[in-house]
Amino acid sequence: MEMQTENKNIVIEIQSLSYDYRNAEGEPIARGVRNVTLNIAKGEFCVLLGHNGSGKSTLAKLLNGFLLPDEGSVKVNGIDTTDEKRIYDIRSKIGMVFQNPDNQMVASIIEDDLAFGPENLGVPREEIETRITWALETVNMSEHRHRSPNKLSGGQKQRIAIASVLSMLPEVLVLDESTAMLDPKGRAEVMETALRLNKEKGMTVILITHYMDEAIKADKVIVLNEGEVVLTGSPSEVFSQKEIIKKASLELPVATSISLSLREMGYNVDFSLTDKQLAESICKLK
Amino acid sequence: MQIKVEGLKYTYSPKTPFEKVALDDISFTINEGDTIGIIGSTGSGKSTLCQHFNALIRISHGKIFVGDMELHSKKLDLGVLRKTVGMLFQYPEYQLFADTVKDDVEFGPLNFGMPKEEVGELAKYALELTGLDFDAVKDKSPFELSGGQKRRAAIAGVIASRPEILVLDEPTAGLDPQGKKEILDLVKKLKESYVKTVIMISHNMDEIAEYCNRVIVLNDSKLIYDTTPRELFSNPEKLKETGLEVPHVVAISSMLKEGGIDLGETPLTKEEFISLLTRRLKCEK
Repeated sequence: MEMQTENKNIVIEIQSLSYDYRNAEGEPIARGVRNVTLNIAKGEFCVLLGHNGSGKSTLAKLLNGFLLPDEGSVKVNGIDTTDEKRIYDIRSKIGMVFQNPDNQMVASIIEDDLAFGPENLGVPREEIETRITWALETVNMSEHRHRSPNKLSGGQKQRIAIASVLSMLPEVLVLDESTAMLDPKGRAEVMETALRLNKEKGMTVILITHYMDEAIKADKVIVLNEGEVVLTGSPSEVFSQKEIIKKASLELPVATSISLSLREMGYNVDFSLTDKQLAESICKLK
Repeated sequence: MQIKVEGLKYTYSPKTPFEKVALDDISFTINEGDTIGIIGSTGSGKSTLCQHFNALIRISHGKIFVGDMELHSKKLDLGVLRKTVGMLFQYPEYQLFADTVKDDVEFGPLNFGMPKEEVGELAKYALELTGLDFDAVKDKSPFELSGGQKRRAAIAGVIASRPEILVLDEPTAGLDPQGKKEILDLVKKLKESYVKTVIMISHNMDEIAEYCNRVIVLNDSKLIYDTTPRELFSNPEKLKETGLEVPHVVAISSMLKEGGIDLGETPLTKEEFISLLTRRLKCEK
């Protein structure tokens, strides 16, 4: 009985998943992911960390059937990604935003770009209008609605790419390093947008990033190294594993790193994730 | 070689409804030996400014001198200028195109008319400077390399022509923490070889604080600061008004100041922060 209630809350269920990149002869040429078992619950804000080539993007592409498992399985709301007949059910539930927004723009006017997804899903016209208005407001780009995306800066384009995915009202939003090209302000906006969608609309978010500042805001952090999951847990649980983080070629958030150094030096500061926690804890030393 | 920018103005799509001023009356000097950071929010004009340095954008108003070359002059020798000022764009790995890494790196120097025998040596030296094993990568397709390796190969392609000035547009964007550090350490290493001056666009304030000796801030097409990182970050409130952030250690120390712990100086790195803090805490005891 308990099993069942748990399953109900799981959107993505990954069982012993392995995938290798292969050449035309079917021989493996590059490692993707190895033996990954992972559940992502509805409404969870997950961050995937790992160095370049650790398998993060491969894992993301396995989530909606862009890639299919060599071994093991991926289920979205109980539907296996190898189920060809239902692949569109999966893809309509998982909205993906990639690194380079230029690669995902389809229209010459921004509102048309946002309409492309819902039009193809057969959403009525008035509803599309409402969604476009909402999605552009969400990413703070309403005034650009009737303009062309080619005049936008990289950061602005990325916000449009996110809005285009939002207009399909996905259940899970996968952001594959979507903040990599943005300036701090743009990055904060996208992060705030993702957090708001998660907290207010209950949207499940999977964020792939190299920014530890973004990871500390997650419910769950998953660390990949050489295709394998080496750590899973809350940000505090994950970032207290200094050695494993280092071995995975990652770094600790600045505040965490300083708090650990000070502790090693004998100062009684709290383990900190944010600058604020650290500052408050140091002030208590006085 | 000094770079001098005087009253530079640039407008995109002039005299059309899309007219947009990208650079408004910019003047500053970059001295030989500087590692200068150019910061500013998206759309503030950073890339437009940098594209002027090797005349990818021709000057419409104002003047730029690179050594004794006058970039505003019609008689400018573009070949000489572009050999002097190496330019690495954002995500340079997307520009790799040749069949092998070696061919890709040799493309630049060959086009500058350097002799074939010399070019082979230059390519080897450049690839090794970037930390790639020449014999292991030379015959590979650039597309077989990993992300970090591709970026190194792209950098090798720019530095193979031995530019004296290197312009880097967000050189660490999209890299993982270790990759970022490797690229920045590489830039440091290049400055010990033939690259004399580095101009680096970045959004990463921690990076600017640690690696640059000077910094220029663009806001809304105007130059609003020309100073040292320590000076710039010692006034975090003013910087935040322009939509930029401050390095973590600066943010932490300004919170400490509010809480009654004044570190006295603005730290730029974790190590500096820890040493300033521990000194301060010891004083108190």
